Amino acid sequence: MTSLESIPEKLGSKEAFVEKGGVHWLTLGAINVRALATAMNELQARFITITAYQLPKEEGFRLEYHWDLEGRLLGFYFVLQSNSIESIFDLCEAADWIEREIHEEYSLEFTGREYEPLLLRQGDTTGVNLRDVVAASNAVAASQEKK
Amino acid sequence: MSYKIPMGPYHPALEEPYKLDMICEGETVLDAKLHIGFNFRGIEHLAETRNHIQVIALMERVCGICSNIHTLTLCSAMEGLTGLTPPPRAQYIRVIMAELERLHSHVLWAGIAAKLMGFKTMFMTCFELREKVMDVLQAISGNRVNYSMNRIGGVNRDINDPQSILKMVEALELEMARTVIPIFTTSRTATSRCAGVGVLTTEKTISLGVVGPVARASGVPQDLRKAAPYAAYAEMDFDVPVQPDGDVRARLLVRALEIMESCKILRQALAKLPPGEIHTEGERFAFITGTATARVEAPRGEVMYSVSWKEGSRNPARVHVRTPTFAVMPAIRWMVKGARLADTPLIQASIDPCYSCTDR
Repeated sequence: MTSLESIPEKLGSKEAFVEKGGVHWLTLGAINVRALATAMNELQARFITITAYQLPKEEGFRLEYHWDLEGRLLGFYFVLQSNSIESIFDLCEAADWIEREIHEEYSLEFTGREYEPLLLRQGDTTGVNLRDVVAASNAVAASQEKK
Repeated sequence: MSYKIPMGPYHPALEEPYKLDMICEGETVLDAKLHIGFNFRGIEHLAETRNHIQVIALMERVCGICSNIHTLTLCSAMEGLTGLTPPPRAQYIRVIMAELERLHSHVLWAGIAAKLMGFKTMFMTCFELREKVMDVLQAISGNRVNYSMNRIGGVNRDINDPQSILKMVEALELEMARTVIPIFTTSRTATSRCAGVGVLTTEKTISLGVVGPVARASGVPQDLRKAAPYAAYAEMDFDVPVQPDGDVRARLLVRALEIMESCKILRQALAKLPPGEIHTEGERFAFITGTATARVEAPRGEVMYSVSWKEGSRNPARVHVRTPTFAVMPAIRWMVKGARLADTPLIQASIDPCYSCTDR
């Protein structure tokens, strides 16, 4: 079984994995998501998903990337101040649909890739489902239309 | 000259709505594009508006077939945020429910696959067996679809007479071993219709992150019940069937063999059901601020729930669900490439898709 202790060094991190809430978390510091995806490919880890959160008070977003390594759930997170992050689709094709879904749910951009038409809904507006600002502005627009 | 054939979103060959645009040349499919979202209900957003009891009832409705698995995964994640560990008897009951649900799901799928093969008597046989599995589920939970068995810290209902359930399981196992398994594994109809059809290579399975029986039918031996045991699976003795061919027949074989393994697990769990409580004491839970994640091997593969909570809040801050079909469905594009058009309904069905789960 691959030792988790050797992974941070491969990623250029001085931190160690910390197990919390069923996940082995590693704080990445300055490491970017594409370097992470490349390292996970080298370890033959299986990509699972990306979970996105909108942080309160316009603090941005938190994206959690998950891979499975021989039954252990690895977690890495990135805090986004802007609305974009590099896509890993070309390095990890399993990330295709979840990047498209997050793009639609939160109106976040995964740069360096093209989007096909919306995955989960008809229409052309992104962010209406889970992003607070867009949902609130849509509710205001709907109430104004009623008047 | 190539031409485009749209299949769906509403089509007699599909049990639920989704759309496959196929580029064909003659009778051969050159490429395909998938469109989902016709069942989109915004469940992840709705979860943020429900309290810790309501959210369980909501997530049970993500899927009509593996409803129990969704509450099991959600409750496991919420137990991570409340620091509760279900008692041993509850862990065993969770295994029993999960395996009955796997039987139900696999037999239902076998029936649908038989119908698409043009094997209608087999369809009838499978659905008769499925009724018997549902009778067992009803005997335990009082419900046939949404069982309401899981709660934070355990289960809601006990199994008072495991011996009577064991008899039902043994009768089921006998019937499966006598009819379903031999027909699916040896009959000429099943072989000629499925062998070499809709092949997904091991390399593509790994690169697409495919999970569950579809991955195992392409030679990837991953099963969370073995790799990361939850509930009482660490105490169960069972095998993980793997087939190398990656075609529809391999998927059929893997599920048929898994039916027998599920029966094996059920016999062990019912025989060894430990005494004691079925849930932790009290109805009030203290959630800590943070995120907890749980993964479970559903009938279609790995389900993952990520639940975030803020201390003192009534509702979760975020519930993210990664369902197995969401990981498996993109593989359909690679399975239908080069296939005959007439085989595409069976190829699509061979992944046992759940669009309701995928769209959420």
